[in-house]
Amino acid sequence: MSVIQIENLTRDYGNGKGVFDISFHVDRGEVFGFLGPNGAGKTTTIRHLMGFLKPQSGKCVIDELDCWNDSDKIQARLGYIPGEISFFDDMTGTEFLKFITAYRKIGDNSRQKELLERFELDPKSKIKKMSKGMKQKIGIVTAFMHDPEILILDEPTSGLDPLMQSRFIELIAEEKEHGKTILLSSHMFEEVERTCDRVGIIREGKLAAVDSVEALRERHVRPYTVTLESIELARAFAEDFGGIQNGQKVTVTTKQSLEEIFMHYYGGEKDD
Amino acid sequence: MINMTLYKRELKGSVKLLVIFAAVITLYVSIIISMYDPAMMVMLDGFAEAMPEIMAAVGMSAGATSLLGFMISYLYGFILLIFPMLFCILRGNGLIAKYIDRGSMVSLVAAPVKRRTIAFTQMTVLTSGIWILVIYSTVLEVVCAEICFPGELNVSKLFSLNAGLLCLHLLIGGICFLASCVFSDTRYSVGFGAGVPALMYVLQMLANVGGNADAAKYFTFFTLYNPDGIISGDNSAVVGAAILLVGGVALYVIGISVFSKKDMHI
Repeated sequence: MSVIQIENLTRDYGNGKGVFDISFHVDRGEVFGFLGPNGAGKTTTIRHLMGFLKPQSGKCVIDELDCWNDSDKIQARLGYIPGEISFFDDMTGTEFLKFITAYRKIGDNSRQKELLERFELDPKSKIKKMSKGMKQKIGIVTAFMHDPEILILDEPTSGLDPLMQSRFIELIAEEKEHGKTILLSSHMFEEVERTCDRVGIIREGKLAAVDSVEALRERHVRPYTVTLESIELARAFAEDFGGIQNGQKVTVTTKQSLEEIFMHYYGGEKDD
Repeated sequence: MINMTLYKRELKGSVKLLVIFAAVITLYVSIIISMYDPAMMVMLDGFAEAMPEIMAAVGMSAGATSLLGFMISYLYGFILLIFPMLFCILRGNGLIAKYIDRGSMVSLVAAPVKRRTIAFTQMTVLTSGIWILVIYSTVLEVVCAEICFPGELNVSKLFSLNAGLLCLHLLIGGICFLASCVFSDTRYSVGFGAGVPALMYVLQMLANVGGNADAAKYFTFFTLYNPDGIISGDNSAVVGAAILLVGGVALYVIGISVFSKKDMHI
């Protein structure tokens, strides 16, 4: 059953900017990756889902509710990490989390505490003085602390260090196990590959393809197994090239860049 | 209709401005009231009776020489118009447009709260500030007058005078609030929200000079607030204040509905 449904969504900003005739759906309990380069229209699509923008044509539906007309009802069950984090600069992190807890009328604080611990975040300082990564963590806590059924995450790991990125990916995996429906946008193939079931690829405002992650991987990740002269050499090779060592044999995989993947979907037609 | 959590936060955000403007108003009101000299007014009254034409030419009539008349001349032409107006301009912009411009509006709309409720709450914050400033001024005027000149001030007339002032400032607040709701860019929000009331005030000053510029009074809403008319019980002054109030309410309603329907690139 589809929880998130986008039908023929169009918003034309002129000069070829905007999103054009986008349709896809995300099923219950599914993690859907929304992949595309900067400026492709990911955030514009998400703003429509959040009810910030009214579709010029087409429509967005979440749980059979219209995203524009019933956004307040949808928001009760939804967690959102904005692509560009901007909170109230005059507050400290603690004050902000307290404000949102009261504003959203969340009764229980246990989830918030758990998330703060998980991301090793001490929110006592002023938001104005926080680093990009810290603000991002506040954003993550805000999106997850009311335990929403649906999550819309716009480039959620930007600004996080690799350790925190993998903590975040663990969190996504747990949420998926709990049957949450997740839409995650990213411009990093690896991130999407590690978390998502299906992937939609958007470029220049048009949806190029919707595919399962396995299909995508098959097409764009090539494994090579090489045999080296000695086990020591194999170990060193595996370390240097991030391969998996098995005796003298090492398997390394190549990952194509997004641009190469897009070229595949656009039949070799390169940007510009 | 109103989100108390947001209301409390925003009211706290108004405190600093309110304290500053209340302090400035305190300074002016107390000094000006203490400068009133009944003996001189009795003398002026005498002149007004003896040679009414000459006294009218310099803008004085017998009625205006009371303490209240003195206050109208020195407080209701500038101090009590400008400072609450500045509050409306600064706060009006900060309540909606600034949040959209900076992107922090996301935190407010990405929650199970209707946009209408957000806008209504922010409007209530602005109008609360206006009420606080006008009520504070009223109390201050009564207290200062009773200390300096016990029994001199006609308190019930002061109340109607300030009820009119409240209507005027609710309209100004309405202009600033509407500008804040319409424009997502603070430059335009401030430009419109500050520009319109300021232009209107300049026209009012022109009209006061008289002569050919007198026609300027037809182009400014400040004309609708007529302090002398209100205390002399002039019907048209009451109608003027009512128009200001109705206009203000209309502007708030339009502002809320614009905000509820606008596209937000946040």
